[in-house]
Amino acid sequence: MNDLRGAPTPLLTPGMTPLLTPALTLIARHRVVSVLLFLLVFPWLMPYEALAVNILIFGLYAVGFNLLFGYTGMLSFGHAAFLGVGSYLTGISIVHAHLHWLLAIAVGVVAAGLVGVIMGHLAIRTRGIYFSMVTLALGQVVYYGFYKAERWTGGENGLRGVTVPAFKFAGWTIDFTNPVTKYYVILGFVAIALGLVSRILASPFGAVIEAIRENEKRAAACGYDVARSKLLVFVLSAAICGLAGSLRALHLSVVPIDSLHYLQSGQAVMMCLLGGMGTFFGPFVGAAVFLYLEDVVTTLTRHWMAVVGTIFMVFILFFPRGIWGSLIARWERATTPSVPT
Amino acid sequence: MSAPPIQSQATNAQADILIEARHISRRFGAFQALTDITVQFRAKQLCAIIGPNGAGKSTFFNILSGAIEPSSGSVLFQGQDITGLAPHEYARRGIAKSFQITNVFKQLSAHENVRVAVQMRHARFDFFSPRARLAGVAQTAQELLERVGLAGLGQKPAGDLAHGQQRSLEIAMALAADPQLLLMDEPTAGMSPEETTVMMDLITELAAERTVILVEHKMKLVMGICKTLIVLHHGQLLAQGTPEDIRANEEVRRVYLGQG
Amino acid sequence: MGELTPQLLGLQLVTGIALGAVYALLAVGLSLIFGMLTVVNFAHGAFFMVGAFLGIYFQTLTGSFALSLVITPLVVGSIGMLSERFLVRPLYGRGIDYPLLLTFGLSYVLIESMRVLFGIEGLPSSTPAALRGSVDLGIGRFPLYRLVLIGATATVVMGLWLVIEKTRFGLIIRAGSRDPEIVRVLGVDVAKVWLLVFGLGTAIAGLSGVLAAPTRAVNPEMGITVLAESFVVTVVGGMGSLMGAVVAGLLVGVVFSMTSLLAPEFAELSIFVLMALVLLVRPQGLFGKAGLMG
Repeated sequence: MNDLRGAPTPLLTPGMTPLLTPALTLIARHRVVSVLLFLLVFPWLMPYEALAVNILIFGLYAVGFNLLFGYTGMLSFGHAAFLGVGSYLTGISIVHAHLHWLLAIAVGVVAAGLVGVIMGHLAIRTRGIYFSMVTLALGQVVYYGFYKAERWTGGENGLRGVTVPAFKFAGWTIDFTNPVTKYYVILGFVAIALGLVSRILASPFGAVIEAIRENEKRAAACGYDVARSKLLVFVLSAAICGLAGSLRALHLSVVPIDSLHYLQSGQAVMMCLLGGMGTFFGPFVGAAVFLYLEDVVTTLTRHWMAVVGTIFMVFILFFPRGIWGSLIARWERATTPSVPT
Repeated sequence: MSAPPIQSQATNAQADILIEARHISRRFGAFQALTDITVQFRAKQLCAIIGPNGAGKSTFFNILSGAIEPSSGSVLFQGQDITGLAPHEYARRGIAKSFQITNVFKQLSAHENVRVAVQMRHARFDFFSPRARLAGVAQTAQELLERVGLAGLGQKPAGDLAHGQQRSLEIAMALAADPQLLLMDEPTAGMSPEETTVMMDLITELAAERTVILVEHKMKLVMGICKTLIVLHHGQLLAQGTPEDIRANEEVRRVYLGQG
Repeated sequence: MGELTPQLLGLQLVTGIALGAVYALLAVGLSLIFGMLTVVNFAHGAFFMVGAFLGIYFQTLTGSFALSLVITPLVVGSIGMLSERFLVRPLYGRGIDYPLLLTFGLSYVLIESMRVLFGIEGLPSSTPAALRGSVDLGIGRFPLYRLVLIGATATVVMGLWLVIEKTRFGLIIRAGSRDPEIVRVLGVDVAKVWLLVFGLGTAIAGLSGVLAAPTRAVNPEMGITVLAESFVVTVVGGMGSLMGAVVAGLLVGVVFSMTSLLAPEFAELSIFVLMALVLLVRPQGLFGKAGLMG
């Protein structure tokens, strides 16, 4: 991914930076905590709580996807498979196996990871555009598979009845039918997942995947087993998207078959790009903007698909860094003292 | 570091064979690039592969370094057959190379380039601990940068460095794995005379502590400093030996002088 | 399952070859665009769908299937050329993923456009009157339309082969696929070539849509499944190879068709199993070059 070196038009004027820089630097250094603090108050900023929950879930989905796309440089078009497998396996655990909801979430995540191992093993044998094509095709396999397994998945009608009875926890009664409660429970899981992603990115392995994105051959020459590293990040990405799926099943109480559809994979790509690939918070911003926009636009017109397609193309042509990515780039340009070349 | 004493003839004979090529041949379609090359490289020596353009030096280098496989024959490192192993396996065994066309992580800083190369020996799949804790790694990276003369440029994106600086960066990265064998393909290509001198001094230093094999087509550069020379011509081994042997060799003189 | 007579097998085989012919055309178009522009056209399925819709529209308008076969690819190709000129071209040099992503966004717009023009239900499609019924080929009776489809595809592929092998334009395409820089250095107006190749590739996709329309349901979503299927063909055959596109297309079509007969539950999955096998054994595809993409 190349950068766009345009003429710097700072969002922040030089006069502002002395005030904002220390604050923003602090936020950047403790990114997970900052994000979570923001998310704690988030529901009150949204018109209704279900939208806030959706943003949490798809924000996580996009962050998981971004681990593979923005940070490792692998463009998968089959990630709906992990979202869907997470949803379905959690749903099936609750509906057919009557497991406890926490266990059901674990099953969803592990299942998504396993599917990631299989898909990854096949897809990583290819590179570049082949990888995108193969992941799309493999995503379709999962779609067809679940579509046909009607007895377990409900086929075209989806899986229904994924409900969690109210329970007591530390003196509180947790009732999922209360949207605010549901938000904070889901936030708990998203917080853990975001913490994990942050750790991954800050770990030695995080440096390896970025090196692979920059120059695979070089990374191999340094001694890194590129194929195995790619598989590891693929599986981690799958597990995180699987968690998003598990949470979605609990949120909706149903699992629609469209969770596995190619367009759902495409949605991850769009959210990531809208927000900013290769940034920690970007995908979340992208998810929020995407879902908010969808909410607004679908009340005005039926042709949401044309609107989002056009916006997406505009971003690719003119704002490839995405909303958050562009903001960060501007801030960096404003705060870095210019060096005469 | 002061210049090392020149090894005596006696110790040469006892020096181990670090890497050897056995009956290496390579064809590309109908074109026979290399024919039956057998040669041994001794440890802790500075050796150069030379020959006119099109002699097959780069092909031979690529086979030695594991970038491509030979059509037939094998490469042995420390007695073990490493033919056909993946590039990362080569690096893990202690063989490092610098590419002919500079190949660094352009968008990462110079320091990060070296740091990530050093990190390989410490952690490869650890996705949970903070890498800031690997303090030794960052330190080593800085030391390597200083060694190759890039001390103040650590924060610059590697793609923004001058050509010669990028070459030096590559060498720092090659050294990061503390390799026993350093392979360098035309290290002075595209460099000014000043840069070339600096590079050759560095190479001589490095050859004192590890084995270095160069591919060069500038005869003058290598004659003075290399212990052994291998001369290739039309994909075949024309001659091998000390610079004096090569200078005295009739065929070599014909090939080089004949070509003007 | 009824009796597996040779007639039934033969019939299914012809259906498979006809399906394969559509796949082959799609894969050829994809391969052309990729080979010359290094762009994977994620809107390829959408162009196919647009071709199907416009094919029916023009046929209804002019009353002639043959005329629609000529007009529709021209219209679809024009849309393709406009897209290349204003949407894809600005992205050259930005990295291989950008044009891919753009065509993905374009597919959304194309799908929605068809919904706007023709409704969300799609259009009813039927075999043109003159091409209905079956033909006795001595070895059995086969549906006439399927045979026509196969024949038309063979003609187009043959014509394309002639253009690529025998004309100057084709020479530029072959050279450009190998080394785009050289072509520019030789003074060829590369931008114009890209425009035409993209137009040609999408026109072929549109043509396959017109031909395929009578054999399947025509709705705005039909391009999505077909995209996955054409990717399977590309992986099996190997990108950048005309021969690979044709052979793999036919293979995939026949595999699907025979599985529909022998094990209908697994029909859709069968072609992906084929793809997985190829990935395990020969990742570059049957006719692909090793190391190019695998």
